[in-house]
Amino acid sequence: MLKCKINGVEVEVKEGTTIIEAFKIAGQKIAHYCWHPGLSVAGVCRLCMVEIKGQPRLQIACNTPVQDGMEITNQSEQVKETVRWGLDFHLINHPLDCPICDQAGECGLQDQYMEFGLYTPEMAEPKVKKHKVVDLGSKIVLDTERCILCSRCVRFTAEVTKTYELGIFNRGDRSEIGTFENKPLENNYALNTVDICPVGALTSKDFRFRQRVWYLQERESICTGCSTGCNIKIYFNEEGLFRIRPVYNEKVNGYWMCDEGRNIYKFVNKENRLLKAKKGRKGEWLEMEGGAAAKDVAHHFKSLDKERIALVVTGQFSNEEYEALFQFYKKNVGNDFVYHWINNKESFEDFDGLLLRGDRNPNTKGLLQKLEDYRYEQTWAHLEENLKAGKIETLIVAGPENPLWFPDLKEKVQQWGIQLSHLIWLSSAKVQAVDEVECLTWQIPLKTFFEKDGTYVNYQGLEQKSHRIATIVPGALSLSEAAHLMAGEEYKVDMAPILKGPKKNYYVHRRGYL
Amino acid sequence: MEVKVLTKHYDKPEYRSLEGYKKYGGYEVLKKALGMKPEEIVAQVKEAGLRGRGGAGFPTGVKWGFLPNNGEPRYLVCNADEGEPGTFKDRMMMEKAPHQLIEGMLISAYAIQSKKSYIYIRGEYMEPYRIVEKAIQEAYDAGFLGKNILGSGFDHDMDVYRGAGAYICGEETALLSSLEGKKGQPKLKPPFPAVEGYLRKPTIVNNVETLAAVVTIVKDGPKEYRKYGTEKSPGTKIFSVSGNVLKPGNYEVPLGYPLKDLIYNLCGGLKPGRQLKAVIPGGSSAPVLTAEEAERATLDYECLAEMKSMLGSGAVIVIDDSNCMVDLLKVIMHFYHHESCGQCTPCREGTGWLDKIVGSIYKGEGRLQDIQLVEQVSKHMMGRTICALSDAAAMPAISFVQKFRSEFEFYVREGRSKVKEVIANA
Ligand SMILES: Cc1cc2nc3c(=O)[nH]c(=O)nc-3n(C[C@H](O)[C@H](O)[C@H](O)COP(=O)(O)O)c2cc1C
Ligand code: SF4
Ligand code: SF4
Ligand code: SF4
Ligand code: FES
Repeated sequence: MLKCKINGVEVEVKEGTTIIEAFKIAGQKIAHYCWHPGLSVAGVCRLCMVEIKGQPRLQIACNTPVQDGMEITNQSEQVKETVRWGLDFHLINHPLDCPICDQAGECGLQDQYMEFGLYTPEMAEPKVKKHKVVDLGSKIVLDTERCILCSRCVRFTAEVTKTYELGIFNRGDRSEIGTFENKPLENNYALNTVDICPVGALTSKDFRFRQRVWYLQERESICTGCSTGCNIKIYFNEEGLFRIRPVYNEKVNGYWMCDEGRNIYKFVNKENRLLKAKKGRKGEWLEMEGGAAAKDVAHHFKSLDKERIALVVTGQFSNEEYEALFQFYKKNVGNDFVYHWINNKESFEDFDGLLLRGDRNPNTKGLLQKLEDYRYEQTWAHLEENLKAGKIETLIVAGPENPLWFPDLKEKVQQWGIQLSHLIWLSSAKVQAVDEVECLTWQIPLKTFFEKDGTYVNYQGLEQKSHRIATIVPGALSLSEAAHLMAGEEYKVDMAPILKGPKKNYYVHRRGYL
Repeated sequence: MEVKVLTKHYDKPEYRSLEGYKKYGGYEVLKKALGMKPEEIVAQVKEAGLRGRGGAGFPTGVKWGFLPNNGEPRYLVCNADEGEPGTFKDRMMMEKAPHQLIEGMLISAYAIQSKKSYIYIRGEYMEPYRIVEKAIQEAYDAGFLGKNILGSGFDHDMDVYRGAGAYICGEETALLSSLEGKKGQPKLKPPFPAVEGYLRKPTIVNNVETLAAVVTIVKDGPKEYRKYGTEKSPGTKIFSVSGNVLKPGNYEVPLGYPLKDLIYNLCGGLKPGRQLKAVIPGGSSAPVLTAEEAERATLDYECLAEMKSMLGSGAVIVIDDSNCMVDLLKVIMHFYHHESCGQCTPCREGTGWLDKIVGSIYKGEGRLQDIQLVEQVSKHMMGRTICALSDAAAMPAISFVQKFRSEFEFYVREGRSKVKEVIANA
């Protein structure tokens, strides 16, 4: 361990730690754009200047390792003046776009100017003109005038995805980010470049211009897009969820997440949700509240032949929910016709080498463990046979939260509609096919991961807790709640706050650092 | 008086060929060197006090000493990019004496135990390129290059690589990036090339003139080499003189030679009726000297450093009173603006900004505060970047406005040059 003093604060750091990392450890502020902990050191923005006692020349903190006994400061007048000028150099050719820039409110230039700048600009010359609104494909738009050439995005595509789409073209103040021969930037991690871009140069087509960031709240959660379980932050307000970004977790996802994972918020929003419980069949639906529907199932259950009931579960739920569901099943049905619906058999074992796994369920591991605990060992083929043979009359299905990953969804539901006399459908998603079945069906709306607490076990066997944030569909139940109610128990359903009312400015607190 | 050590036989056209070169003792020093221990040669170069002729003047032997002893392959790279405005000595050396360079490189390569070297040659230098290529072929045919050179057991291969015309590719780490096939831009240091250079292996980059001088040192010994020059700047150096002198050209003189003798004696002085106004002593990156300073200056590292300028690449640009300093600065600023690689923000933005400010003054649209702004911007471009190009742009800018402030002020007030009647409509 090495001892050093950062702005007078003593810290101990590991051998090989750079000064900028020591600043972070010491909780001291330091201006920087090009450095990113998940990327190599570029040393190009020249903002992270520090003064080291005994060295006449200022050094950049990002490329200088701490030595034992070093005394480092960025509070001296010399450093402050250098940083002010460093910022001014960044700004002289930067367009005064803030009012129409999507980054405003979470922009590195704005934030660092407020922290380290605050000077009167000296620039009286015309600015360099560059390309605006450059289409980089289906996901990203580039504004090269706003770009400060920190090269983070270029390093990301070179070092993380190793796809090398981005480069800096031309030289000097004519330098521009671009792609070779205008090829699109389409890799499945491309949106990370939008996150790490300190300015509004790279913006996400999905998010841009939909909300001002100060109207958004943010909460941490776990991605349910696949069995990796990336740690995420969800940005939302009264109008719904708007975007997802990764949160650093050394053990799971590092600094990144995949682009497909960013889309899971869409399946939480009302448009894609089953909003009311329904009972009936094609053309004859009776709407009701979720709780009422579950109680109705309980009521009906008594008249069903228990040997002709089966349960289908997906890997989309939390450990706690599996436990409640299996308890319910054991007590109220008792047979072992419990089947694991594997949504995408062919690609289940795939892995893209970075994060995304073929198993597009957040908790397959948890489910398999529970199935084992309860000794439910039936195969899917067994279910198919029994269905064909007409041995199953009633199917309880704990269906998908994210129907995108269930390519066989429609086909299965249609088939069940013909083979069964009762279907008890539990899902948060709006699924057209279920509205068209001919057998007597209960559709019970479930909560999504955003609306409930739960534990998920990722592919490594790591347990991660996800917390209830807010309610999007009032009346939706968690699978546990549905299980208790279907068992006929008295049960009070717990609800997270419902988001309503006018948008408000959440920007009263300072946003985090770059 | 010129002292012709390096250029002794440059007047003989046959010196260019292997035959001619050997006639005047060519490759004899290589034979001698191969009989010495590599460390001995390094020690001699250190003792001779040879300083790099590419611009920075770093002691060559010391640089060689930075190579780590880790068993990794080492590379030697000759910097023949010669991009510094005003410099044209390397070109002459390669055209007149390609074998001198090859011999110098072989001795240096042997001294640092490198089996492979490159000559990175400026893209525009088509003629020197052909000459050097031919000479390398001759050397291979004669057994001076390749396996088991002169039966010594030492192997060495040499290749020529042409640049594409970027000034920045003369900076040693940009040169190495370019040599690796990447965009020619400087690399973050540390690590320095001697530790991690070409293909991330230990690499020594030296200027053409530096490597050629190694031949003389090994031939005559360090004592003899130190006969010329000063204590801190030993040896002779070739100066490329351009601008308002009657006889511009390359002149080899001992370091410490008076600048005024170079201008008035060797170069035939100024045109009749003209007065000396300023001299840029070491290429466009060096701070300008006033006429008065130029009269006092001697051509060595220490005197010019004391005058807050530098010897640089040895390009002496002589400026007489028919020139407008605003005009000249405008040209220089345009150059650096065009040539900044654009990685580091202060350099990328600063070079462009300076070009624009000086351009505004030049167009007659300048404000008085712009003169001070040039100084301020320059000040904050210095010592802040990955390579020295940023400083190279800032130093002339500061020196021009500080030393010729009245000319700049006149230009701003009157909207025209104090010197030239008519200014171009830029
Ligand atoms: C912007 C810039 C341009 C340079 N151009 C050249 C050049 O054209 N030729 C050269 O020999 N050195 C050039 N140098 C210096 C080299 O970086 C390096 O110091 C030199 O090649 C080392 O050789 P030496 O020690 O023999 O001088 C340049 C440096 C900078 C910062
Ligand atoms: S686009 Fe953004 S991340 Fe990429 S270099 Fe420009 S400012 Fe940096
Ligand atoms: S890799 Fe998996 S867990 Fe991570 S963001 Fe993508 S879908 Fe979500
Ligand atoms: S100082 Fe200028 S030329 Fe040198 S690396 Fe930085 S931007 Fe490029
Ligand atoms: S953060 Fe250190 S130079 Fe950019």
